[in-house]
Amino acid sequence: MLGYAARRLLLMVPTFVGVTFIAFLIMHLAPGDPVELYFQGGLAAGTQGASPERLAEIQRAKEHERHRLGLDRPLPVQYAIWFKRLVTLDLGESFKDRRPVWDKIRERLPVTVTLNLIAIFITYLIAIPLGIYSSVRPGSWLDATATTGVFMLYSLPSFWVGTLILIYFCGGDYFLWFPPAGLHSLDYDVSWPWIRQLRDYSWHIAMPVVCETYAAFAALSRYMRSSMLENALQDYVRTARAKGLSERVVVLKHILRNSLIPMVTLLGDLLPSLVGGAVIIETIFSIPGIGQLGYQAVLARDYPVVLGLFAISSALTLVGILAADLMLAVVDPRISFGRVER
Amino acid sequence: MRGDWLIVWLLSDAESLNPLTSNDATASEVLSFVMSSLTATDPKTFAQIPVLAAVLPVVSADHLTYTFKLRKGATFSDGTPVTVDDVLFSVKAIKDPEVKAPFLRNYYTSLVDARATDDSTIEFRCSEPYFRNDVVLGGISVLPRRFYDPQGELDGVSVADLAAWDTIAPEKKERAVRFAQSFNADFHRRVLGAGAYVLADPARDLVTGERVVLRHRDGFWAPGDPLRGDGWVDRVFFRVINNPDAALVALKAGTLDFMGLTPLQHLKQTGTPGFRQRFKKEIAFTPSYVYIGWNALRPVFRDKRVRQALSRLVDRDRIIERVLFGYGEKIDSPVYRFSPEYNTDLKGYAFDPDRAKRELDEAGWIDHDGDGIRDKVVDGAPTPLRFEIISNSGNAARRNIGLIVVDQFRRAGIDATFREVDWSILLDRIERFDYDAVILGWQFSPNDPDLYQLWHSSQAVPGGSNHVSFKNAEGDRILVEYRREFDKQKRIELYRRLQGIILDEAPYTFLYMPKAISTVDRRFEDTIWYPTGQPNVNEWWVPLAQQKYGK
Repeated sequence: MLGYAARRLLLMVPTFVGVTFIAFLIMHLAPGDPVELYFQGGLAAGTQGASPERLAEIQRAKEHERHRLGLDRPLPVQYAIWFKRLVTLDLGESFKDRRPVWDKIRERLPVTVTLNLIAIFITYLIAIPLGIYSSVRPGSWLDATATTGVFMLYSLPSFWVGTLILIYFCGGDYFLWFPPAGLHSLDYDVSWPWIRQLRDYSWHIAMPVVCETYAAFAALSRYMRSSMLENALQDYVRTARAKGLSERVVVLKHILRNSLIPMVTLLGDLLPSLVGGAVIIETIFSIPGIGQLGYQAVLARDYPVVLGLFAISSALTLVGILAADLMLAVVDPRISFGRVER
Repeated sequence: MRGDWLIVWLLSDAESLNPLTSNDATASEVLSFVMSSLTATDPKTFAQIPVLAAVLPVVSADHLTYTFKLRKGATFSDGTPVTVDDVLFSVKAIKDPEVKAPFLRNYYTSLVDARATDDSTIEFRCSEPYFRNDVVLGGISVLPRRFYDPQGELDGVSVADLAAWDTIAPEKKERAVRFAQSFNADFHRRVLGAGAYVLADPARDLVTGERVVLRHRDGFWAPGDPLRGDGWVDRVFFRVINNPDAALVALKAGTLDFMGLTPLQHLKQTGTPGFRQRFKKEIAFTPSYVYIGWNALRPVFRDKRVRQALSRLVDRDRIIERVLFGYGEKIDSPVYRFSPEYNTDLKGYAFDPDRAKRELDEAGWIDHDGDGIRDKVVDGAPTPLRFEIISNSGNAARRNIGLIVVDQFRRAGIDATFREVDWSILLDRIERFDYDAVILGWQFSPNDPDLYQLWHSSQAVPGGSNHVSFKNAEGDRILVEYRREFDKQKRIELYRRLQGIILDEAPYTFLYMPKAISTVDRRFEDTIWYPTGQPNVNEWWVPLAQQKYGK
C-alpha cells in the first residue's frame, strides 16, 4: 500500500509537468499580447495613445517591458523558469499590477472555499438521503417525483435562475429578501460581534449557494440510487432479509454501507472543485472569488495568474484522484493495490 | 451641509492605486478624490484655476519657462505640509524612465529641467513651445516625497539628470532604478495625497471585488471649495458590482446612490413613478464619439471617393434610433461640438445610397464580371470591392452598427462583412495595420483639443494613434503650427480648416456622440452636470433630515 502510494506520487510529477506545459503553450500561443494590452490601455478607454513625437520611446518601453516579463525568450525557456519558481512555491507576479500571484489568489481563496464547502455540504446532505429514499421503493410515485424534480432542476441554466433570483428577490421592483451583490453589508465592520457578522454573511451567500447547489442534486442522487439498487439485488441482502432482519437494518446497514463505496471515487473531484470558482454565479452576484479572478486574467492575458490557478487546480485534481483511490482500498478490503498478481 | 455617504458604482476593481503607474479609468476616478495637483480646470468655464499653486503660472516670453508659486498652508492628509521638494519629487518620479508610466511620461518629454528657486517657487524649463504646457505642467499630481521615497533615493538626482538619461552618471542611474523598483511594486494598495479624501486603512477600506472607501479628512486646507477638491459627504464609498443588472437592483434596493444607466435600463426598467420619486436622472452628452475607420493602406480604400461614398451609405439617423434609442447625435468632426474650435459650417455626408452608387461608378468601381460585386483594376490586378469590418467582441452597440452598415453596403454591390474579435486580437491587428475597417471610439477633449496624435502622418506607425494612415500635407502643417500657436483665435482658425480637410478626405466615417444617462438618489442637492459630460460630485450635499448614513 505504501509502495503503491509512493509510486503514484512519483507518477504525478510527469503528469503535472505535461498538463501545465500544455496549458502554458495554449495560453502563450493564443493570439493577444499582455504588453500590447497594457500599452493600448488608452485605446480601450477611447483616449488617444498619448504619444506625440516620441513613439519610438513607447516602442522601446514595450521591448523593455517584454524583456522584464521574460516574454522575449523561447517558450520552453519561459516554461522552465516558471516551473523552477513553482518548485519553490513562487507563482510569480501578475502582469497587470505586479502583485504576487499568490497574494491575489490568497485574498480570494477564503471566499471561494467557504462558498464551495457550504454548497458541497448541502448538496451531499440533500442528495444522498434523496438517492436512498428513491431507491427504497423504485418506480413508486415518490421515486418518480424525486427523479423528475432533480432532473428539472438540473435542466435549469444557472445564469437564468441567478438572474431571476436577482430580479425578484433582491430588491429590484419586487421583494427585498436578499442582497443583490457582494458578501458584506455596506456598514459591515470587522468590529461587529461574530454572531452579527455570521448573520450578515449567511444572508449574503444564501442565494449564491442556492444557485450553486440545485443543479448538482441530480447527478449525486442518481449515483446513490443506482448504487443502492445494485446492492439490493446481491445475495447477502437476500440472506439478511431471510434471517429476519428488519427492513431498516437491511437498508441502512447492508445496502447503504456497501453502496457508499463507489461514492468515495466521487471524492476525487471534490478537492479541485473546492477551489474552482463558479464564474457565472460569481459574476451574477458580484462575488470576488477565484472564478472572477481567472476569467479576468484570461481576458487580460495575465499569464502568471492563469497558470497559477491552473497549477493549483491540476495539483489538487491529481491529489484528489490519488486520495480517492487510496480511500477505496481503505473502505473496501477486497481492493488491494499492494499485491499485483502476474 | 456636511455629512452622509455617497455610494458610487464601480463596474470593476481599481487594479492599482499607484498615482503614476495605474492606467485604468477606475483607478483615476478613485485617485481624483485623494490626489491634488498644482492647477485644475474649472468644469464650467474650462478656465485653468490654481489648486496647490497660489496663482496661475508665470510664463516667460519665449514660452519655455513656467514658474509656479506654491499655496501656503496646504498639507498632505498625514498633516505634513506640501513643499517645493514634494513637487520636484513628483516631477522626478514621472521623468524616471524606469517608473512604469510611459503614457504619462510622454506628456512631459519636452520638460528638460525643474528647480526650486526659493522655498515656495518652482521653475519648469521646456525644450519647445507648446500652447498646452501650462495645463500639462499644472496637472502634475503632487506626491509626498517621504511617503513614496522613504529612502530618499531621488534626492541626489535632478530633473535635468533624468531628462538626459543616456548620459546620466552611473551612480545616479542606480539610485533612479532602485527608486523605480520599489515605487512600481509597493504602492498598489496604499496611497497618500493632498486631496480632501483619504484611504485611511487599506485593510478595512480597500477590499478587492467589494469596496474602496474614502473618508473625508479633518482640516482640509481649502474647506468648502469643491473646485479644489473639498466635498461635503463624509465618505465616498465605491462599491464594486461587476454586473450592470445587479447594480441596478442594488440601486433600487437603496444600496447605491449613483450609477450610469444603459438606454434600455433608462427606457424599460426605471420608468415607474416610484423610481422617479426616489431618483433623479440626468441625460448629458459624453465627450466621446464612435466612428468607422478605413485603413488607407488597403487598395480598396486608397481613393477618397470610395471613402466618401461609403460614408454616404451609412444611415446614421437609423443607427442612432435603433442602436441608441435616440440617445446620441450625429457628428462630422473629431472636435467636440461645444468647444470653440468646432467648425459649425461643416456639411456632413447625408445618407444617400443613389448618390453613393453614382460616385462609386464614377470612381471606376463597377461590376465588370457580373458577379454582383463591384470591382476595379487596382495595381494591375482586378480587385473586388470586398472588405471586413471588425470591432471588439462584447460591445452590443458596435455589433448592431456593424450589421446595419454591412446590410447597406451589400445592397450597393459591396461585399462587406462584419466580425467581432477579442479585444487583445483587435489591438494586435490595428497595431500591425492588418485590418480593413474598424468600428472604434475616441474621447473628445472638451477644451483645447490637440489632434496631432490622431491625424499627423508621423503617427501612422505601429503603436501610433493614426491607425488609418491618414496622410495629408496641409493637415500635417496645420497640426504642427497649431501646437506652437499661443493665440486662441488663430488656433481656432487653423482647426476650422483642418476639420474641413478631414471631412473631405473621409478617413473616418464619423458616426455619433452618445448621450449618457445617469441616475442619482434624490437626497443629494446641487447635482449639476457640466459640458465635460461629468458632474463635480464634490458639490453634492444632503440636507440633515435626509442624511442616511453615518449619523
